[in-house]
Amino acid sequence: MNARMDERGSRSPNPPDPMESSRAGPAPAAARLAAALGARVRSWEGFLAVLLLCIIAMNALTSPSFLTAENQVNLFALSIEKVIVALIMTFVILNAEIDLSVASMMGLSACALGWLVQQGVPMPVAILACLFIGMLGGAFNGFWITVVGLPSLVVTLAMLIGFRGLARVLVEDRSIKEFPAWFEALGQQPLVGPFPLSLIIFFALLVLAVVVLRYSGFGRQVYVIGINLEVARYSGINVARVKMLLFTTSGFLSALAGILFAARLGTVRGDMGLGFELDIITIVLLGGVSIFGGAGSVYGVILSILIVLYLRNGMSLSNITGHLQTGVIGVLLILSAMIPNVRSFLAHVVRPGRLR
Amino acid sequence: MNGVPAASHTAETVAGGAPVLEVRGLSKRFDMTQALDDVSLTLHAGEIHALVGENGAGKSTLIKILTGVVQSDAGEVRVEGAAVHLANAQEAQACGVAAIYQEPLVFPDLDVAENIFITHREQDLLVNWPRMYAQAEDILASLGVRLDVRASARGLTLAAQQAVEIAKAISLEVKVLIMDEPTASLSDHEVRQLFRVARQLRDRGVAVLFITHRLEEVFEIADRITVLRDGEHISTRPAADVTRDLLIRDMVGREVDQFYGVGTTRTIGRQVCRVQGLGREGVFSGIDFDLHEGEVLGFAGLVGSRRTDVALALFGIQPADRGRIEIDGRAVRITSPRAAQQLGIAYMTEDRRKLGLAMPLSIAANVTLPVLHRYLTRLGLIHRPREEAAAEGFRQRLDIKAPSALHLVEKLSGGNQQKVMFGKWLNTRPRIFLLDEPTRGIDVGAKAEVHTMVRELAEEGMAILCISSDLPEVLAMSDRILVMREGRQMGILERSEASQEAVMSLATGEDEGGGATTGARIAEGTAP
Repeated sequence: MNARMDERGSRSPNPPDPMESSRAGPAPAAARLAAALGARVRSWEGFLAVLLLCIIAMNALTSPSFLTAENQVNLFALSIEKVIVALIMTFVILNAEIDLSVASMMGLSACALGWLVQQGVPMPVAILACLFIGMLGGAFNGFWITVVGLPSLVVTLAMLIGFRGLARVLVEDRSIKEFPAWFEALGQQPLVGPFPLSLIIFFALLVLAVVVLRYSGFGRQVYVIGINLEVARYSGINVARVKMLLFTTSGFLSALAGILFAARLGTVRGDMGLGFELDIITIVLLGGVSIFGGAGSVYGVILSILIVLYLRNGMSLSNITGHLQTGVIGVLLILSAMIPNVRSFLAHVVRPGRLR
Repeated sequence: MNGVPAASHTAETVAGGAPVLEVRGLSKRFDMTQALDDVSLTLHAGEIHALVGENGAGKSTLIKILTGVVQSDAGEVRVEGAAVHLANAQEAQACGVAAIYQEPLVFPDLDVAENIFITHREQDLLVNWPRMYAQAEDILASLGVRLDVRASARGLTLAAQQAVEIAKAISLEVKVLIMDEPTASLSDHEVRQLFRVARQLRDRGVAVLFITHRLEEVFEIADRITVLRDGEHISTRPAADVTRDLLIRDMVGREVDQFYGVGTTRTIGRQVCRVQGLGREGVFSGIDFDLHEGEVLGFAGLVGSRRTDVALALFGIQPADRGRIEIDGRAVRITSPRAAQQLGIAYMTEDRRKLGLAMPLSIAANVTLPVLHRYLTRLGLIHRPREEAAAEGFRQRLDIKAPSALHLVEKLSGGNQQKVMFGKWLNTRPRIFLLDEPTRGIDVGAKAEVHTMVRELAEEGMAILCISSDLPEVLAMSDRILVMREGRQMGILERSEASQEAVMSLATGEDEGGGATTGARIAEGTAP
């Protein structure tokens, strides 16, 4: 009996010493650098970077036109709306919430724009009105989530249906094409150098996202709430305000993306952006942001954006059909969801009794 | 005093009956604390054996080992003479050991009979419903409990839920039934009923291990009494040989004031906080105290005495709904932690992991968290050098063992995490510091450091309210001690009149005579 117990005891490894790393003594600088580099590559971002380099190499080899500036701008412009929304979705998921209503809001804002223009409202006023609708819709989500305390999954799922329904009511089964020429040009022509307006907006938002998340007090609060909402609450952080701001911004940026979408296509329909929320969430999760919140970075999301765009672009250049492209992206997401889980599963087996 | 109805019967079995459960040399260590140290215990068939001890004496750990929830580091458990290995709850159950708890684990969507036979289900391919209901009725009838076996378990009173759990244990033909503080939330009448059932089990030859904090219950129901203290076995005696004073002495021990700094030279300053008639519906009521600069007010009481809830009311997490709080003589309403902070109140939680620290972040990020606004530039960006300097200051002042202020909190030991939590709240520059179990789960050395720190803070003029279940600690640190029991204030002891016995008497309600009833059923735990 005792022998059996001892055996069990010796099989379970000792808990890791918290001070071990610091006690290891001064390692040679080169070895330390190599170790740090190794840790980077083994991190999720490192894995994504390697994957991205492979995809770029493959694309460049198979298609000479891949590396041209024109193709680069084009491949971005084709998905720019999703990519813009992915930035705010990163914040939302980091905060351990989800916003499923983004694509419906894109559709609603685009359709509202078309409808307002049809009613003879001047373009700038219509654009402002649509952005306001976005904020209002986002704040509406935020109200149910923060004030009433419903789960964001439920609230935004309802609004996914609600916003889409409104969009379809506004334009019915038609499409609206009566936009002024300058608006379409803004969506389709380069504005500065080779870059259209949407790309410039994206880059500006990207810089803003990195700065806010990494360097601002607000970003710190977003992380802490995602890590542990109760710790945030007990620390006196106004959790409701942070969440409200995130959902309102999510609505606002979705509406903006919808307007840019309308400008790029020059026409709006009730089913615009249908299903985009899944692509957007895919990008964020593939970027290594934890669906449980609190872990992940904008850098991972940038890499993930590039991977998804380059992969699609490369396949298009090689004449692979859109459906197959979607399939490949799907496999990628499954892998991305699996790999961290396989790791933690293995960690469980090796170190029993340690829960998430 | 003894359980009169079956006293003679018990004497016989204890004398002649074979031991059902033997525990020999059981030890268990969690991180820094030795929860059980070489504990031995024997249960005989047909006895009710009371297990008593202060919070942290090791009772829960012993129960967890016996029910297979945790595994011992050393020692063995024998059931009817055969050594058993209790690797999980199923194996414990197969050995005939079952437990019921203060909060029964019934499934509200199933009916009473289904709950009773929940673990049997897989034995047959199909459920024989008529037989199941008939058997459930038989078992309940044998216990003298009247319950509709077809009724849903939802809405059953706590006492009825416990009866269902006991019936479940009987259906499994248990040899040992552990009752872990089953009376903590029961009314007087329900306690009588439970005792009757327990005696019936004893008369059927079951060994009952009864854990309670109420000493009067121990004398009423137990045949023998075992006392644990600090994870060690102190005594096992027939109940008839035990007096109340002897029991309390065994429970609290004698070594006091060893490493706690005695002789304090603090001067108590002016009053900063006054609380009158503070209460929260269904949780606690009638709390009155005042708190002065440089004073340490101890909050003593057993687990579930609602001390934490009073602190949470003062910190605005669960605002009070009655009574009055005055800060500096001005009546205030505290409805959020932010509001509390602005009044100079800080609350350091007892649960570092769940409520206290953002584990995956650095010491610096945690220390600045409640007052992040102080470390922001005009653009709202975090001023890293200023943040690091502040954290580095606390790292040195509190002697946090970490290579730098940027070290991650999850990589620190419990004691050092506790110090980070101290730094986090000291950084808010509080005038009133609410400490909740400030030395829980840290080793002796870190404990002494925490005690010194608390004394120094008081000497600097901070008003400190310290909740602690460590009785010697409360006695040594506090200028006055407020004792709570089941959501009510039992009294405030001055330093001169405070002794372990006096505190325990108030905390267990011994002087009141008869178990006081709690009207509303109180859910354990705090905020959702």
